[in-house]
Amino acid sequence: MSLHWSLWIMFLVVLNLGITLFLFLWGTRVSIPTREDGTTGHVWAHGTLREGVRQLPRWWYLMSAGTFIVGIGYLVLYPGFGAYDGLLDWSSRGQLERAEERNQALLAPLLEKARNGAPSDLAADAEAVRLGGRLFQDNCAACHGRDARGNTTIGAPDLLDDAWVYGGDEKAILASIRTGREGVMPGWEFLGYGRVKNLAHYVSSLSGAPHRPTAAEVGKKRFDACAGCHGPDGSGNPAIGAPDLSDDAWLYGGELDQIMTSISQGRHGQMPAWKGRLDEAEIRLVAAWMLANGK
Amino acid sequence: MKFPIRYRHFEKIEKHAWLLGILTAFMVSLGGLAEITPLFMEAHRVQPADNIKPYGPLRLAGRDIYVREGCHVCHSQMIRKLQFETQRYGPYSVASESVYDRPFQWGSKRTGPDLARVGGKYTDAWQREHLIAPRSLVPESNMPAYPWLAEATIDPADIQARMRALRALGDPYSSESIAEAPEALKNKTELDALVAYLQGLGRNRPSPDALKGDAVP
Repeated sequence: MSLHWSLWIMFLVVLNLGITLFLFLWGTRVSIPTREDGTTGHVWAHGTLREGVRQLPRWWYLMSAGTFIVGIGYLVLYPGFGAYDGLLDWSSRGQLERAEERNQALLAPLLEKARNGAPSDLAADAEAVRLGGRLFQDNCAACHGRDARGNTTIGAPDLLDDAWVYGGDEKAILASIRTGREGVMPGWEFLGYGRVKNLAHYVSSLSGAPHRPTAAEVGKKRFDACAGCHGPDGSGNPAIGAPDLSDDAWLYGGELDQIMTSISQGRHGQMPAWKGRLDEAEIRLVAAWMLANGK
Repeated sequence: MKFPIRYRHFEKIEKHAWLLGILTAFMVSLGGLAEITPLFMEAHRVQPADNIKPYGPLRLAGRDIYVREGCHVCHSQMIRKLQFETQRYGPYSVASESVYDRPFQWGSKRTGPDLARVGGKYTDAWQREHLIAPRSLVPESNMPAYPWLAEATIDPADIQARMRALRALGDPYSSESIAEAPEALKNKTELDALVAYLQGLGRNRPSPDALKGDAVP
């Protein structure tokens, strides 16, 4: 704050306090001339109402004196009187820093343990799982759902089942959270509706889902193109995030029309990287929560 | 002790309504003059933080859509200096981040979460789907859907006019950047613009050193 504005505020504060204090101390002692009947002579309603002169009640004096004491005390202790910082040296930033320090001190033992701990060990620690669950709700639930069961609208996988697009070992899970994932499947619309439909029947047959065997038999001939990523048996490839087509977990839904949409339009799934928002300890806590709740 | 003011002074004020009104207004305005005028007169001295740049054409269009659709009614962009806010949303907001927001989008009510640092938290695909059909992603959400944004196109000339208006107000847009605006807006929908705006929110948070030097109350 510039000196100019600091002086401006100080001047106004002194002026305001000065006038009100003056009125409080002197104004209340001014004697009011009265008539013989003890009134001021001011009348209303043709004399029915007359203005009397009474001492102000004690509670009013005490309360008013109290507001001056609190007001001046505040200006002495806290920032408010121009650029003067106040005896307590209070600031909202300082208050936040103290609160964060207190909080960090409370969390430190758990975070320290989490930073170097294996998520599977942490999954046995109720406190760690509870904190991981909080972090999950705040950061992951928007895509994977509050119950972590995934969302087929944007291809967010179910995190509690035993199907893992990028591998289910701890290293792969931590890498997924840290750096994110991006899976791209090209569209095969150029094959034409009939061939896509036959392929979809074949894909359904891989997991034993309802399908037309004759169509699946025809579709199988086209599966060579898919095998490059999903493998000859359709069991997927975690290295590139090609999902296993022979299990019952479906990123974008396992109905025939959903599978056909995936084949003809392709899919582009993306998980953001979290290492900038969550630190290593927090990432491990989230993984611990998943492992504690999953299969 | 002889009192410097007498009954007749009070009587004069009480019996002259105009005088009473003027003196009352004078006393009431003292607080406002002390609290409001310094901030009001010094507002122009808030400098943009080290990495805060004026909005590009697409994000500028998105920001105006954000205002038009009333996003600020339910979402704040103001992380207060309170532990439970910084823990959930990230570092607290500072004035130097909003220099190029006219008007600022701090908001005053949260029905949905604060968006000051939402940029990059979710993917573009999530943001698009969430604006078109919020409950397809968050079943318990009560946010309205904005499906028409996906079809609405942006008029480049309109955005250029807005950039010129902002330049007249002092935002550092170069003539080249205004001339190149139609290129950046080519084939973009309002949904693209809004998502671009959201994905940039809080991305350029001031460095911790810049925060320490931020003396704005």
